[in-house]
Amino acid sequence: MSRDLEKELREALRPVDPGEDFTARVLARLAADPAAATRGSAAAPLVRRRRAWIPLALAASLIAALVLGVQWQERRELRGLQARRELIEALRVSSQKLDLAYRLVNRPHPTDGDAT
Amino acid sequence: MRENDPGLTDHDFLGARAGEPGAFAAVVRSQQRLVYGIALRMLGDRSLAEDLAQEVFLQLHCNLRSIESTAHLTFWLRRVTAHRAIDLLRRRARVQWAPLAAAEELPAAGPQGDPLMEARLLREVSQLSPVARAVLLMRYQQDLDPTEIARTLDLSLNTVKSHLKRSLATLRLQLSAAEPGGGLVNHEP
Repeated sequence: MSRDLEKELREALRPVDPGEDFTARVLARLAADPAAATRGSAAAPLVRRRRAWIPLALAASLIAALVLGVQWQERRELRGLQARRELIEALRVSSQKLDLAYRLVNRPHPTDGDAT
Repeated sequence: MRENDPGLTDHDFLGARAGEPGAFAAVVRSQQRLVYGIALRMLGDRSLAEDLAQEVFLQLHCNLRSIESTAHLTFWLRRVTAHRAIDLLRRRARVQWAPLAAAEELPAAGPQGDPLMEARLLREVSQLSPVARAVLLMRYQQDLDPTEIARTLDLSLNTVKSHLKRSLATLRLQLSAAEPGGGLVNHEP
């Protein structure tokens, strides 16, 4: 025997009454927590809470990016200064060695006549 | 279930809007079956449905002044209840219907109904996505046409029709697989 799915669905999904005391429970809850009536849907505060952190997160990300950028720049400058110092030191050492080499090459040699 | 329950009068509605004692209670009494009915069939759990239904009426109490008529009230209640239930289902793990062994927790089958078939059908409906489930409820519990369903659930008409077609096909397939001899009559939504 064939069945009518739509008829079955209407029957299965029919509304159900929550019981005689439901209204009293709603009114009791309203009386106990009047602020509940001023809150929006459960979804709306959740949505508002979700959205509220977005600008804060963006601001925090921006600040973090700025701080990291500054630190990176400082480290870069420090590395540059270090490299400059090392170069100067290397040049100084090279210069000393060249100077020594020059003196060794150009020092006056004693002549034969001076020996007698 | 297209119209407001006969118990809701314009007098009660306007009185509730004006804050008259007892008028809001009359509104709740007249609309509780609609709200709880949607919540229960969406969530499949009595206590969750009760909580959700209470919250809908608390929200209604706050928003009564923005509701213009009893027809608008019915539209608002369907819309808010369905959206809240969809949101809840999305946030929670999928709610399973009680197994047959605990069927006494669920409302008894209607006068025309086969309890086993009904339980099986409800179980298959619970496997649908929250939005698809809401579309089915609006169609087969609230008797809304696809255009009204689209307005209530903020969906396009094509999306509603697609959900109905696919849901019915899925249900038909699942139920036929369980009972190979029981064919189901095909109806276009």
